[in-house]
Amino acid sequence: MKTLRRFLSPLLILALVLGSVSVSAAPLPTSELISTQAALSAERADADRERINEILSRAEVQEQLIAQGVDLAEVDARVAALSDEEARQMAEQLEQLPAGAGVVGALLVVFIVLLVTDILGLTNVFPFTR
Amino acid sequence: MQGRIDRPLRNARLAGVLLLGLLLLTGCATTPRLAESTSQTLPRQAWVEDVPFHAQREYQCGPAALAMTLNHAGVDVPMETLIPQVFIPGREGSVQPEMLATVRRHGRIPFVLNDSFDALLTEIATGHPVVVLQNLSLPAWPMWHYAVAIGYDLDARELMLHSGEEAKRIESFRRFDATWARSDRWAFVALRPGELPSGIGEQRALQAIAAFEQVQGAEATLPAWVAFVERFPHSGMGYFALGNARHATGDLEGASEAFRSAVAQRDDLGVAWLNLGLTLQAQGNIGEARQALERAVALPGHWQAHATAALERLSSGD
Repeated sequence: MKTLRRFLSPLLILALVLGSVSVSAAPLPTSELISTQAALSAERADADRERINEILSRAEVQEQLIAQGVDLAEVDARVAALSDEEARQMAEQLEQLPAGAGVVGALLVVFIVLLVTDILGLTNVFPFTR
Repeated sequence: MQGRIDRPLRNARLAGVLLLGLLLLTGCATTPRLAESTSQTLPRQAWVEDVPFHAQREYQCGPAALAMTLNHAGVDVPMETLIPQVFIPGREGSVQPEMLATVRRHGRIPFVLNDSFDALLTEIATGHPVVVLQNLSLPAWPMWHYAVAIGYDLDARELMLHSGEEAKRIESFRRFDATWARSDRWAFVALRPGELPSGIGEQRALQAIAAFEQVQGAEATLPAWVAFVERFPHSGMGYFALGNARHATGDLEGASEAFRSAVAQRDDLGVAWLNLGLTLQAQGNIGEARQALERAVALPGHWQAHATAALERLSSGD
């Protein structure tokens, strides 16, 4: 993932720089309206850098999901449904994001601590403590 | 003699230290308090009718919670379809961004609620089931879990949830809030375009609808923008978004009307002047188009260069 980023970053920066050079030389395609999404992201600072990050993020999320065993046929649609911010969040911290599963893999000591906290009403691991 | 007294004392001290450590570890759980205004306006009891229950299998509380809330919102999708769309085998679970993304794929808008008990109960009272993320265990050994909150009783101080393998499970407010607080009280509702949660903030709603539009397109999103400007009639960005959606569906007249409302609310919104000018130009109203574009050119900001070029094109009769 890091290598992908290292490899892709200069390419993307180059592409965007070249893109804006040709844009300033030729007339802008102005008959197109500015989209709501573009206007919203331009309201934030560093809009251009965010755009680069966003493109990188989606590529990275795709790679990570495949590595985590997600079905290849589903990956594209899953990444496409993320908002820009969510894509960034996934790319940066997929490992740290809580994954709701509803199961705990625990040791005996942990088991006892959780039993006590369950009885105190702080947790809700064991159905029989309610 | 001395030793015999000492031992129970030492044990008691040890127990005290352990208990203190435990409390520090867990943070102190207290019964959540509602804002005065909320507890006065909410009905004492409420529950959402017709939320189908899907029992989770293995690690799949995410797909189960999604199926329940989507089915209730009128999307006929079985849990089996949702599993490959949201479950991450390597993490043996489902993550928050993808829970929201999957709602979008099925044509409903996910709105993350603000992190309060008030917002949660208000949504239930409105008739919306709420997906909540809980950590049923302690921060050190997390047991993340998605459940669907479907009812409450203010007098008994209890919440009703479809959770795991149990339909209509009753949890006390106190125990629920202790487990919910560990996810920073994360919760969302999945609504049809055109519906908004009651207490949602302007920016939060705007971002949620814009993200939906990126996936589902302007036509599907149009009712949501209409509802948005109804709720937030002073939002320049709201009218701007409405104008764009109308323009994309071919309604030029409606679009220019919405852009006009946008600049009436926010005279400094250059991007709205720009889109207004372009729309008027397409309608053949060159005089007014020029005025709008000139206004856009005069406003400093990200879109100034676009506006200058658009004005040049208009002047050259392009």
